[in-house]
Amino acid sequence: MAAHTLHTLPSTNPSFSFPQHAPSGAPTQHSFYPYTDNGGSTLGISGASFTVIAGDTRLTSGYNILTRYAPKLFKIGGSGPDHKGAKIVLSVVGFAADGRALQERLDTLVKLYRYQHGKDITVHACAQRLSHILYNKRFFPYYVQAILGGVDEVDGSGALYSYDPVGSYEREYCRAAGAAASLIMPFLDNQVNLKNQYEPGSVQGLEKKQLEAKPLDRETVEGLVRDAFTSAVERHIEVGDGLQMMVITNEGIEEVVLPLKRD
Amino acid sequence: MDTLVARYSRPSHQDPAYTSDDQQQALADVAPPLSLNFALPPVASSASWLRAMTDDASNPNCPIKIAHGTTTLAFRFKGGIIVATDSRATAGNWIASQTVKKVIEINSCLLGTMAGGAADCQYWLAYLGMQCRLHELRHKRRISVAAASKILANLVYSYKGMGLSMGTMCAGVTKEEGPALYYIDSDGTRLAGNLFCVGSGQTFAYGVLDAEYSYEMDDDTALELGRRSILAATHRDAYSGGFINLYHVKEEGWVKHGFNDTNPIFWNTKLTKGEFSNVTSELA
Amino acid sequence: MRGASILKANDDKTRQLNKQTLMAFSGEPGDTVQFAEYIQANIQLYSMRNGTDLSPYEVSSFVRSELAKSLRSRSPYTVNLLLSGYDPIKQKPELYWIDYLASSAPVPYAAHGYAQYYCLSILDKHHHPDISLEQGMKILRMCTDELKRRLPIDFKGVMVKIVDKEGVREEEYVDDKQVYAP
Repeated sequence: MAAHTLHTLPSTNPSFSFPQHAPSGAPTQHSFYPYTDNGGSTLGISGASFTVIAGDTRLTSGYNILTRYAPKLFKIGGSGPDHKGAKIVLSVVGFAADGRALQERLDTLVKLYRYQHGKDITVHACAQRLSHILYNKRFFPYYVQAILGGVDEVDGSGALYSYDPVGSYEREYCRAAGAAASLIMPFLDNQVNLKNQYEPGSVQGLEKKQLEAKPLDRETVEGLVRDAFTSAVERHIEVGDGLQMMVITNEGIEEVVLPLKRD
Repeated sequence: MDTLVARYSRPSHQDPAYTSDDQQQALADVAPPLSLNFALPPVASSASWLRAMTDDASNPNCPIKIAHGTTTLAFRFKGGIIVATDSRATAGNWIASQTVKKVIEINSCLLGTMAGGAADCQYWLAYLGMQCRLHELRHKRRISVAAASKILANLVYSYKGMGLSMGTMCAGVTKEEGPALYYIDSDGTRLAGNLFCVGSGQTFAYGVLDAEYSYEMDDDTALELGRRSILAATHRDAYSGGFINLYHVKEEGWVKHGFNDTNPIFWNTKLTKGEFSNVTSELA
Repeated sequence: MRGASILKANDDKTRQLNKQTLMAFSGEPGDTVQFAEYIQANIQLYSMRNGTDLSPYEVSSFVRSELAKSLRSRSPYTVNLLLSGYDPIKQKPELYWIDYLASSAPVPYAAHGYAQYYCLSILDKHHHPDISLEQGMKILRMCTDELKRRLPIDFKGVMVKIVDKEGVREEEYVDDKQVYAP
C-alpha cells in the first residue's frame, strides 16, 4: 500500500502501474501467475437412483467477497439458455475463470457428441472425456477441482466422479472439494460410507463388526448436504451466502438455491 | 444449392455422404482420440513454471496440489506374477482418497501399476491400452510385455524434463515370453526383473519381501507375502494406506484377489501372529 | 569419513557405560565420540561414588537431559543414540531410542538413519518379545543382508555386541557373503 501512494503523487511524467523495463535492453521475464483462488466448496453424493451435487455461491478473492451469487454448478449438454434436457451436472471449485472455461469446453463437446452421434453421451463417457480435457492441460493446468454427477444409463444408479486438477478421476459415492473439503469430507465418510461406525453392542476385538454402507434415500442425502454446508459456513470464511443444489434423476435435473449465512 | 442446404440442415450422423472416407476422417478430427498436443504456458521454461505451481515436495504452499504417494509391488515366481498395491492418494498432507485403484487392467493378460502422479499414470496407461489393442488388430496377436513396456518407456522419455512423474510396472503373460515383469519410470528407465517395489513405501515393502522371497513359492505363500509386504509399508509410511489391492497374473490371464481394508488385516496379523510388537502400551 | 575416503573400516561406534548398559551412536563426526565419552565418564563416576550402577531407565533419563540441555546451548551435539541395558531388578533387557532432539522412547527394536527404512518392516514382522538369542541373530542377519542388498551406498559391515544379565560382550559376526537383489 505504501508503494501505491507514491504513484499518486502529482508528477510531470505519466507513470505506469507496473515496474519499468531496465534500460539495459535485456528481455525481462515477469513472474507468470495466472491463477487466483476464488474459494468456496462443493460436494456430491450419489444414491440408488439419483445424484445430488451442491455448492455454495460465494465468490471471494483473498479476504474480499466479490459476489454473493456466482454459481459453481453447471448443467452440461442441454439445449438452449435453460439447458433443456440436460442429464449431467459439472461442479468446479478453485479458480472461477478456469472453471468457466472448463464448463464451456465440456458443454460444447457433449453437444457436439449428440450432433455427431444422434444420441446423448453416457455419464461414463462424459467422465472420461472430462479427464482428457483436464489432462490436455497437464503442463499448464486448470486450477480446479471438478465433480461430475449423473445417472448411470446401465443400471439407473446415481453416478458421481471426482477429479484432481490434471484429470486423475475415480467413481465414488461421495466427495467434497474446495476450501472446506477438509471439514466436509470426514463428515461424509462417517455419514455416507459409515466409516468407524460399528454394530452397537458387538464384541470388542477381532469380531467387532463394521456397519455396512447402503445407498441413502433422497431426503437423508439432502439433509446431509444442508448440514455439511451450514456447518462449513460456521468455520470457513470462504463459504457462505447461498447453497445451490442440483438433484439429477432419470427425469432430469431439479435445482434449488437455499440461503446460507451471509456474514 | 439444394445439396448444400440438405447437407447442413441435418446432423452429420444422418448425412447420406457421411459414409465416405474423408467424411469419416473429418469426424475423427473433430473428436480426437487421446491427443498428444498439450497446452503449454506462455513462459520460457514451462518445466520450472510447472514445478513452481505443482511440486508440493519442494514448495508446500504451491497452489495446485496433484495427487501422489504410494506403495506398489510386483514379483515373479514359479506360479506367475503377484501384483499388490495400497490405495491411498495424497495431496500434500491431505488424504485425497483412500480408494484409488492403483492396478490398471490394460487387457485380460496385462496389468500396469500406478505410482507418482495419479493422472499421469491413469492417462498414459490408458494410452498404452489403446496402443496394445491397435497392435492386436494390426498383427492379429497380442503384444508382448516387452514391446508394451517399451511403448510406454519411449513415450515418457519423449516428455523427459517436462515434469511427468510416474513409476510404473507392467506385468503380463504371453505365449512367447511366459510371465514377464518390467519397471518403467518417468526418467525413461526401463528394466526387466523378478521383483520391484515402487513408491514412497518401497523400502518397507522391500524389507519384508526380500527376506522371504523365493522363486519356488507356491501360490498362497506368494499372495500372502505380497499382502504382508504392502501391510508393512502402510504401517511405516504415512503416505501409504487404505486398502490392499491384490492380483495374480497366471498363464491364462490375471485373477483379482480382493480389495481389502488394511485396518482389520493389521489387527488380525498382530493379534493372531504376535507381529508388530512395537504397538503396545506396555513399554514406557 | 573425511572428504570422500574411508579412514577406518572397523571403528567401534559403541561405548559401555556401566556393567550392563551399552550405548551405540551415530551423527556428526567429532560430536559422537565426545558426547558418548562424556556420558560414559559421568555414568562411571556415579557408579564409583555410590557403589551401585544406574539402571538403563535412569541412564536414559540422564542422557536425555544432557542432550536436551545441549540442544538449547550455543553448540548442540548432533548425536543419535541407541541405549541398551539389562535391568537387574526388573530382570529385563531394555532398549531406548534417542535422537539428537532429545526424544527418548522405550522400544522393542530400533534403528537410526537409512537403516530405519529398510529394517523396521523386517523387525515389525519377525520380532516377538520372547525370541531366543539365536532367533534374534537370525533377524539381525536378515537386516544386514537387506542393507547389503538395497542400500545405495556400500555397506561396510557391522560390529555386534550383546547385552544381557552377564554384561556386555562382543559377538563374532561373519559377514563376507555377497548378497544381490533378486
